[in-house]
Formats: sequence, structure tokens, C-alpha cells
Amino acid sequence: MSDLEGDPPILKLLLLVGLVLVGFALMVDVRRVSWNSFADNSLKSSRPVETCQGEIHEDVVLSRENLAAFLTVSEREPKFRVQEILPQSYCQLPTIEVRAGVVSEREIYPLAFDPQTWLIILYEGEEYAGYQFRFQAPE
Amino acid sequence: MVRMIGIEKWIGGIAIALCTTACSLDPNSEPIRQIQIQQNWAIQPGDRIAGHSVVAGLGDISIQLGGDRAYAPFAGKVQPSSNKCALFSSPDVPAYLFRLCGLDKLNLGEVQAGEAIGSGDYLYFATLRKQPDGTWTIVEPAKDILERILKPS
Repeated sequence: MSDLEGDPPILKLLLLVGLVLVGFALMVDVRRVSWNSFADNSLKSSRPVETCQGEIHEDVVLSRENLAAFLTVSEREPKFRVQEILPQSYCQLPTIEVRAGVVSEREIYPLAFDPQTWLIILYEGEEYAGYQFRFQAPE
Repeated sequence: MVRMIGIEKWIGGIAIALCTTACSLDPNSEPIRQIQIQQNWAIQPGDRIAGHSVVAGLGDISIQLGGDRAYAPFAGKVQPSSNKCALFSSPDVPAYLFRLCGLDKLNLGEVQAGEAIGSGDYLYFATLRKQPDGTWTIVEPAKDILERILKPS
């Protein structure tokens, strides 16, 4: 410990300014700023968010009971096992090819108890591959 | 004799607050994601042999980036994996993970489709498909995914 009372006021002022500057540097994420702000515009997204294509079935929502039943189906089971539980989807996303030579279909089911959350199911041919939840930003 | 006066108390308070803030809040801190790959090959990316790092293994596609960037193929999340590798996952592509090794300046966390993930001289890319037992298996990636990763739009 030291007695700062006897130090010149300019020293206290410099100490204060230094602390404020260090604090600002710490609170701003330097790495993120340098990466996202000082690079060129090509860093930012120019690809549209994936949305429904084709027919939309507005009345389709997924209940808690159907979600629980769906989660008992494991990956690699036949597609019809899922469709027995979820016969109709809200809509489909565009088909994609993730694995060479295999076309993937993706179907969407909004949750009845949380409409901002979509269940997305991916099929490859007649096989159920897996699911994910997408959290939609409120409009 | 030590006697704290007003300004010293204030400075001390700021210092404690800043330290607490800096130590506890980092919006980009992403925990390392560990996954189990079904193919249990003896040599994996991140291993060291005779003092040299293994940067890619069986199942990785090696692409000469020449300092260019790699981009998120969909909206998703970039998480650190092993040494100089990242895992990209997206709710739009269930059942799959993408492993990108060799990139610098990793843009960790949530990213939009087409946003840069990182850059480097070489990209070592693997596509991983989820298995019923929770492991991941390396599969052959489609050209479409590679094009999305190499082009921002």
C-alpha cells in the first residue's frame, strides 16, 4: 500500500485516465471488433436465410405428445416410422445435397406450445437422418 | 500511515468492477466441443508425430485456400474443436456436422449464412453424419456444400 495523498494531482489524473482506457479495451471485445469491423464487407452474410418452398400448411403444429413420440424414433430408421407419427409437415425447405450423391429432404414442424421454434427433420431417401430445432427471431 | 481519500476509493472500485467484468463476460467464449468419431483411426488431426502436428487425416478434403476465407454454408454455430479445428453445425442441416481445420482468425459463435468462419492457406474439411449411438461418422461431402463454404454467396 502507498499513500497517494501526497502524490501530485496529475499522477492521480493519469492513473484514472489509464484505468478508464484499460476498462474500455477490456469491455470491447478486441478480437471481434478487429475481425468484423475492420475487414471488408465480404465478411457479412449475403446468402438469404433458408425458407419454405412449395405448399404451406398453416394449420400444422406439433403437440407435446407428438414431439415426445417422435423423439423415440432413432436416426437411420425408415422414413415411414416418422410419418406414422407426423403425417403432414408445415412446409419443406429446399432439397440439398450434403453427402455426395444423396439428396436430402427437410421438413418443418412449428411447435404448438412455442410457435417461434421449428422442428426441422432431415430425410435421405427413405431413411430418417436426424432433427434439429431452429429458433425463429420474433417478427 | 495510509489513508484512502475519495479518488483512491473510486479508482479501486472501478478496478474491481473492470476485473470482474473482464473475467466473467466474454461473448465469444465458446467451449471446446468434443465429439466421438466412429472411425477410430490411429492418427487424428491434432496429433503430433516427431514434433510435427497432424493437420488432417483420412476423410478430410484438402483445399488450397491461398489465404482466402471459408464461409458458413448455412446460418449456424462455429465451435472450437481440437487444435486449429472448428466444428460448424446448423439447425438447417440436421444430422450433420462440418469440421474445418487449418483456419486462422476463427469467427466463433453464431454466424449467418455466408459469413466468414476463418481464413488460411489450406482448409482441411470433413463432413460428419450422426449415428444412432451418438457418434459421428466421416462421409464423402457433396460439391454443393464445398461451394457454399468457398463462396460467400
